[in-house]
Amino acid sequence: MILTLVLLIAASLLSLAFVYLAITERDLLKAAAFSAGQSVMYAIMLQTMGAADIVMTYVAVSVGLYSALLVFIISKTERCEG
Amino acid sequence: MSKRLLALILLIALATIAPLVFTIIVKMDVPRALKSLGLYYVKNTINDTASPETVTAIVWDYRGLDTIYETLVLYLAIVGGLAVFRVKEVALKTKIGLTSFARSSTRIISLLIATISLAIALHGHLTPGGGFPGGSALAVASMIVIPVYSANALIARGITSTRLVAIRGFALTGIGLVAFLPTIRGLEIVTNQAFYPATVLGQLISGSISLYNLFEFLAVMSGFTAVALYLSIPEEVFKVAEGA
Amino acid sequence: MLEQYTYALIISVLTINAVVAIYGIVYRRSLTKKLIALTILGDTVFVAIIFSGFYFTHPIVPPVYPEPSDVHVDVLAKHASDPLPQALVLTGIVIGLAVNALIAFGIIQLYRLKGTTDAKKLVETLVEAGVAE
Repeated sequence: MILTLVLLIAASLLSLAFVYLAITERDLLKAAAFSAGQSVMYAIMLQTMGAADIVMTYVAVSVGLYSALLVFIISKTERCEG
Repeated sequence: MSKRLLALILLIALATIAPLVFTIIVKMDVPRALKSLGLYYVKNTINDTASPETVTAIVWDYRGLDTIYETLVLYLAIVGGLAVFRVKEVALKTKIGLTSFARSSTRIISLLIATISLAIALHGHLTPGGGFPGGSALAVASMIVIPVYSANALIARGITSTRLVAIRGFALTGIGLVAFLPTIRGLEIVTNQAFYPATVLGQLISGSISLYNLFEFLAVMSGFTAVALYLSIPEEVFKVAEGA
Repeated sequence: MLEQYTYALIISVLTINAVVAIYGIVYRRSLTKKLIALTILGDTVFVAIIFSGFYFTHPIVPPVYPEPSDVHVDVLAKHASDPLPQALVLTGIVIGLAVNALIAFGIIQLYRLKGTTDAKKLVETLVEAGVAE
């Protein structure tokens, strides 16, 4: 029980750090990498809450497809923001 | 750089201290039991739908019509995206991939991903998984193959976007047929146990749930691979097409 | 005591994530950054929905029967996580993916036509054309 709670606390605080770093980053490739890190932290939280079906879908979509989609967009448009 | 880190440390401190204050001041109670609606689903799934996996049973049996509409929304979004690009079947000139190290490791990894995604899709009525995670995993494998081997490698082997859209149409027709077939006997659409058999040759297939998973796997896989093929056409082709 | 603290901490972290993501959608200039912030907001809402079906028992397991029998119904009724929010979130993830892919195609086509993905410069071209104010 203690392991569940400690895992939830650690994963949520790390996800907060990744979200803030992703939104305030000027280089868009680094922002896409931080967004993938945030998805991994959310996947840890979801698995600890017992949603095994969602974890499979969420990891494949968010870490795989969204990161690939963002890299395609950045390679066809601009890389630096502002 | 240091302003950002300072703001980040402030946010983490706020996120850590505010719940502490809240817990000490307000004595609230955390939930310790399953809600009654979830309890109904957990108790009655194996009798109503012959599938021991509760979430897949809710997605394809209790709320099957919602999932059919969701598949339709995905199909329309991909149709809209492919219509924006509007380029005919193009013979790509670039055959540049990556080095032989990348190619051999990608060969092993994409074969493993293909096997695992088929297993996830076909076991959707027994373990967590289903048609949609399996299709997405295979689409991720194709998104790995295209930069490493160059998109020409897929097109030269006959995996063109026209054929992928045709496979997608066939899979959606399959889903529509499986949904509408029970009306022959006067039942409603999206009926599971009243029309389809629960076991075939001693194997548990839970009626229409395995068929739905298979067709959804084909539909999602072909749709996202077609999107990846369209996205990997280089920009010079579009500049030539607009200039001409 | 630790359980109440964890519950309040997860709620506060999810709220702060949502607020930072909404700030990113409104105040950041690049269209790609707005898309990243939109995906973060969607994911945060999904985690919040599944968190509503979470409760504090010792092993919390996914709601799957190892084999259909009455013993397992009693065990699952006390330890399984709620299946209904998971089914709704599954539909939500698919529809979110479809909408985000469509937005991605729109961003690429806009860059081809106008040459920039900066929201402020795009508004200026519209003002020059006399369409907006």
